[in-house]
Amino acid sequence: MWIPLFPLRCEEARHEGLAAYPTALLAPDTTRKLWQISPLARHAGVKPGMTVSQAIGLCPTLRLIEPDPVHYDERFAHLLSALNEVSPVVEPGDLGLVYVGCDGLEGIYGGPEKVVEAIRRTSHAARVGLGLGKFTAWVAASRSKPGEAVIVQRGTEAKFLAAQPISALPLDADTHRRLRQLGIRTLGALAALPEEAVTAQFGAMGRRLWRLAAGRIAEPVAGRSAPEPIVAALTFFAPVGERELLAHALDQLIARALKHPRRIGWRVHAVRLRADLEGSSSWLAAILLRDPTADAGRIAAPLKTRLEQSPPTGAVERLVLEFTAFAPGTSELQLFARDAQAAARAGQQRALQSAAREIRMRVKRSPLYHIVEVQPWSRLPERRYALIDYEP
Amino acid sequence: MVTSSRTPLRTDRLRAVNEPQPVTVDLDESGLMTVGRSDGRTVGKVEAILESWRIDDEWWRRTIARNYMEVILEGGKRMVLFQDLLTGQWFAQMP
Repeated sequence: MWIPLFPLRCEEARHEGLAAYPTALLAPDTTRKLWQISPLARHAGVKPGMTVSQAIGLCPTLRLIEPDPVHYDERFAHLLSALNEVSPVVEPGDLGLVYVGCDGLEGIYGGPEKVVEAIRRTSHAARVGLGLGKFTAWVAASRSKPGEAVIVQRGTEAKFLAAQPISALPLDADTHRRLRQLGIRTLGALAALPEEAVTAQFGAMGRRLWRLAAGRIAEPVAGRSAPEPIVAALTFFAPVGERELLAHALDQLIARALKHPRRIGWRVHAVRLRADLEGSSSWLAAILLRDPTADAGRIAAPLKTRLEQSPPTGAVERLVLEFTAFAPGTSELQLFARDAQAAARAGQQRALQSAAREIRMRVKRSPLYHIVEVQPWSRLPERRYALIDYEP
Repeated sequence: MVTSSRTPLRTDRLRAVNEPQPVTVDLDESGLMTVGRSDGRTVGKVEAILESWRIDDEWWRRTIARNYMEVILEGGKRMVLFQDLLTGQWFAQMP
């Protein structure tokens, strides 16, 4: 499943009407350059990598958006969770690209079309490709239209791949140029060459490219199964009725469960807190966290609210905490989350956003502005920077 | 520089930063400059000119010709002034 320009699509989803305008997302590492461009902006001549001033010169109505990597990661984690409902084998690729293992799913859903339909239901904007191996599936997805699917039937992979352009291969710019100079424009043209000749010319990478183009490689989806529930329990010496004591015990249980080795690499999605009460009765609170987290405070908050609002009806003899569902941890997700600095930057942006919102609520208007570089090289000082309303 | 927001930045709402502020520059009999605000209040007398430079730009669109000078006023305040060579008007601006 592939959602091109995933970050831009996330922004369009949370800013109503944004899709109707030419839009560009600023680069996560430098706000001077553009990263992702909407089709409308591309039509106006704006390209990724351009500076803000170049882009505005070409498209004065361009709307610029600062990136929110944490939000994109969260949305991507939601997508992965939804796909996990369809298949237990899900492998995240780049942001917006997910490989879903479909072996055995036909027995549950029906034919390949039904499997694709189940996958498509998780995102309406996604392009879906079904084929043997990750590369064939990816090429099929890249050839489908948004919200549609291309299915490559078993045995027809080589024929399907032969007609595809060489840009479908994971090539660096230099190899792409060299292949084009040799007159090779399709995967079929590359596969028609002797494997040894391609290997001699391009080395080990060339051999891999040839095998991909010829449909000789069918890499399976490397999913990972979610861990078993993690349980932490505490038996009190004497039955406890005080809520403060229970809340303290809950904090200890959460800390203990978070340290469990099976939890590493996973964020907690669903939590259950059970209490065995004096007199053989019990109490249960089950919470589904809207945003999966590994933060003790965020896990504890809804459980403590439940303890306050509908406490156990008797003294508690034993308290049991269970983490019952998990979402992949950010560390295995995207390029942003792998970059601790980028994640920290995104956290700072969120704090700033929250502070700005508070100021606006207090003074009833926004006295905050945001400085953007327009022509930092200009000899005229007033041309170098501009102010824009800071609106979180 | 503050970066953030993620809200679409509408380029039609860009406001200029560091726009030139009109000032008056008067010369007394001995050739000393006095800088004043546009509302008539005096900013100060120029004690020294540290540096001067000229900018000629955008001749292809609407010619810009400015004579900049960085000055020190009485009391030690540093200021950058320029004279628009096309209109003769004086402005103050951050460098």
